[in-house]
Amino acid sequence: MHERIKYLLLLSSICIFPTIACLAQSAQEILMKYDKVVFAPLDQYAEITIQITDKKGNSSIRKASMLQKGKHKRITRFTSPASQAGIGFLSLPNELMYIYLPAFGKERRIASHIKNQTFAGTDFTYEDMEALAYSDKYNPKLIRTTESSYILELIPKNPRNSEYSKLIITIDKKEFYGTNTIYYNKSGQKCKKLVTKMEKRGIYWIALSAEMTDLIKNHKTKMTITKITHDQKLSDEEFTIRKLVQ
Amino acid sequence: MVTEKITSLVLRYPKLIIIATIGITILLSFFVSKLEVNPDVFSNLPEDDKTAQLFNKIGEEYGGNYLCLIGLKAEDVFTTQVLSSIKQITDSARTIAGVGAVNSLTNILDIQGDEWGIVIGQLVDPYNLPHRTSQLDSLKTYVLNKALYKGGLVSPDAKMTVVLVRLEEDIDKTEVASKLKEKITAIGIPEKLFFGGQPFVMMEFGHVILRDITFIGPVTLLFILLVLYFGLRSLRAVLFPVLTVVISCIWTFGLMGLLGVKISIITSVIPILLVAIGSAYTLHMMNRIYETKAKKGENTLKKAISFIIVPIFFTAITTLFGFMSFVFGSYLDMISKFGIFTSVGIAVALLLSITFVPALMSFSRNNTRNTTKTSEADSQLLTRFLKAITRTVFNHPERIVWIWIFLILIFILGIFRLERSVNITDYFKKDNPIRITENILQEKLGGTSPVYISIKGDLLQPEVLKMIRKTEDYLTSFPEVVHAQSIADLIEEMHFVMGEGRTIPDDKEKISNLWFLLEGQDVLQRLVNYEKNEAIIHATFGSDEMDKMRDFVSKMNAFFIANETENISFELSGMPSLLLCFDESILRSQLQSLALAIILVLLAVSLLGRSFKMGFFAITPILSTLCILYGFMGIVSIPLDLATVLVGSISIGIGIDYSIHIMNQVNADRKQGRSLQTAISHAIQISGKSIIINVFSVSAGFLVLILSSLVPLQRFGILVAVTMLGSGFGSVTLLPSILLIHEKLINKHHHA
Repeated sequence: MHERIKYLLLLSSICIFPTIACLAQSAQEILMKYDKVVFAPLDQYAEITIQITDKKGNSSIRKASMLQKGKHKRITRFTSPASQAGIGFLSLPNELMYIYLPAFGKERRIASHIKNQTFAGTDFTYEDMEALAYSDKYNPKLIRTTESSYILELIPKNPRNSEYSKLIITIDKKEFYGTNTIYYNKSGQKCKKLVTKMEKRGIYWIALSAEMTDLIKNHKTKMTITKITHDQKLSDEEFTIRKLVQ
Repeated sequence: MVTEKITSLVLRYPKLIIIATIGITILLSFFVSKLEVNPDVFSNLPEDDKTAQLFNKIGEEYGGNYLCLIGLKAEDVFTTQVLSSIKQITDSARTIAGVGAVNSLTNILDIQGDEWGIVIGQLVDPYNLPHRTSQLDSLKTYVLNKALYKGGLVSPDAKMTVVLVRLEEDIDKTEVASKLKEKITAIGIPEKLFFGGQPFVMMEFGHVILRDITFIGPVTLLFILLVLYFGLRSLRAVLFPVLTVVISCIWTFGLMGLLGVKISIITSVIPILLVAIGSAYTLHMMNRIYETKAKKGENTLKKAISFIIVPIFFTAITTLFGFMSFVFGSYLDMISKFGIFTSVGIAVALLLSITFVPALMSFSRNNTRNTTKTSEADSQLLTRFLKAITRTVFNHPERIVWIWIFLILIFILGIFRLERSVNITDYFKKDNPIRITENILQEKLGGTSPVYISIKGDLLQPEVLKMIRKTEDYLTSFPEVVHAQSIADLIEEMHFVMGEGRTIPDDKEKISNLWFLLEGQDVLQRLVNYEKNEAIIHATFGSDEMDKMRDFVSKMNAFFIANETENISFELSGMPSLLLCFDESILRSQLQSLALAIILVLLAVSLLGRSFKMGFFAITPILSTLCILYGFMGIVSIPLDLATVLVGSISIGIGIDYSIHIMNQVNADRKQGRSLQTAISHAIQISGKSIIINVFSVSAGFLVLILSSLVPLQRFGILVAVTMLGSGFGSVTLLPSILLIHEKLINKHHHA
């Protein structure tokens, strides 16, 4: 799942240069440090629970397992409810994406130009889930500093490739993880809000839960990690179509 | 006697009455400012009606009752420029609070598949619109070959496309529609735009209602003022009725504001009705006071008031009965409210005529001057005319009755051609932009009238989805039905892209897998419920013809009965079903309210004349006029609609007043021992004058409605004027003739 929400981070830079965090830093430096924290683990295995709540308060729960290696290889498989068990998604570099439907015993490639579509009924779009470093995708501007956080405004470098006009992200001053992100649509209206709950597991900071609220549809998705392991040295073989259809 | 007690009280405390009236008026005028307009005809549907309940339920749970259609017209929709305009409209509409889903060519869900893979995404990439000719041509070919889009999102000639904007429930629809129109217009895109659909129709209704109240109300008042002035040649005789009417309007609307009752398309006519009807009571009161004083000098105010209270009271009561007949058995809530509040207004006008007006007149020093002036200048023409009528009535009573019978017989033939009209769009004039837009949308894109079929059953079961398919196929076999969409379409499309044909899978597991791919798509919220045990087939009906609607609804219901099983049930709703109910209710409430009005009025006039036979004679002019009215409607093709359905009962209520005045005068003279001939002559000369002036003033008032932008209100004005003329002249020709013939027959009988 989404790198920013997920999992862990290595705070190596802070360990090595503890004083740097305390100094005034440029917006670009802050964002690069944030990216470093987000993409810290080499690989990971996580079991997640996804709770989707609609505007009437109806709630449904799904469970899935997820394997990820680096920035660009990920395989997600639903395990619950029974009617959806076995459905899998495979994401590979160059925006290649496949879906596997067990009742058909077939995989199908999914087009890449569907960034603003929601992922499997959640409030996360494919754009929210893509594994691009923020420092590559956005031009940051430091708009405020509080006692504990940096507040950055992120403007897409290529507006045609984003459904958002800007993001306002709150980054922890000490550990450089994100805690809160507000998304603005093309009309400048607040459209979504992401709140993450971070916890340190081993050497990484993990987003134990991430709640995305669609402020317009009044619909929300909460992803909670129930189990996580890191750096298992997963082989590239785990991220193939053959593995997807198994 | 009660009348004398009332008169004594009025004359004893005139100052108190005047102060109290002014006080209440000031108080209630505060609430007039709180009045709101509710132009939504469909918010008036009865809560216990099954069709209306389903219609509202689908609107609330699945959206769609309040659908705005923004049409774009261009030489060719498939150009980068037009697509960019569509995208701008789509993005802009989505940002308005109160707007739910927005669907257009640039964001519509599209499912495609081939050997390469599947795309469950958008028809075009909104961030990278096609710009090469080959891309645009291929998009055009694809869209025009896909049943889901052709004729729905894009006209078959590719010259028009539409952005569908669904409004949320529990919001002010007209306000959101207004913001939407303002915002989209402000973008300044080069293509021609059309704003159609129920919310825009409601918005236009709102504007028209306000315009009618603020413009036509005062114009009516002015018209009546002029007619009264030319009839009576007295400023005071004009000012008093106008004052009564203005106060009655303030009290009625103030009460509506106080009780939170909103103004509807029908209740907007109340001021015009009160102006036309309410002025008559004051007019009769003043006329009687003048007449009495002219003959007997001063200090006869009490006598005059005592005499006129009874007929004024009965004329008001019978008019009230006409309006009260709408309170019971009306399909639409706004018609009941119309009945209630017009009755309130009339009651107020009555109260003011017998209290406030005499109280004011008790302070005037020289009342006779007006009368003298009136009797001299007034209407020599009118007097001559009434004398001529009296002569004709005395010389040829039988001939008059035969002329009326002849007229009735001719017009009765027209009754068989009487039609009903329930199409709300037709309520606007032909040149109204909203009507033009609706016609264009109907012609190019199949109309904006929604049709819904609710199918209950386990939607993961193949047989239920197959039944949805079968129902949708049957639905689209009607040539009027277009844009059908259901969950079965999406499941079949997904099945197709999985390489297994455009069918419903036989396997429940496969259905579950396909369903998973659709999760989160906005369109699902419109097609199925959260529990997945109810699906809605959406479609639009592209015809206004009632016969086609009737045929459609009856055949669909027969299909449901034939296909219902233990696990699958159906229900039909939407505009055709609602309009049919509406249509039937128009006929039903017409008959009910007419019957009720006739019975109540007959009872009232029988009580007044203390004779059932006399009561029957009294209602003969108005009954005859009704035959002529409905025949006239049939002959000139004026249908029964939301407003013209009211004319019959209103006419009974108002028209009977003329007979009451004639009967009252005749009875009074007979009591004094005068002969019937003298009594009738007297009645035509005295009451006839008020009647004729009133006929012209009321008719003039109602004819002002021709200025309304709403066709039913125009027709309403014309028809009330026609019936006023009919019943007015009936009361001075037919009624006296019947009385004379009746006496002749009695005399013959006695001689025999």
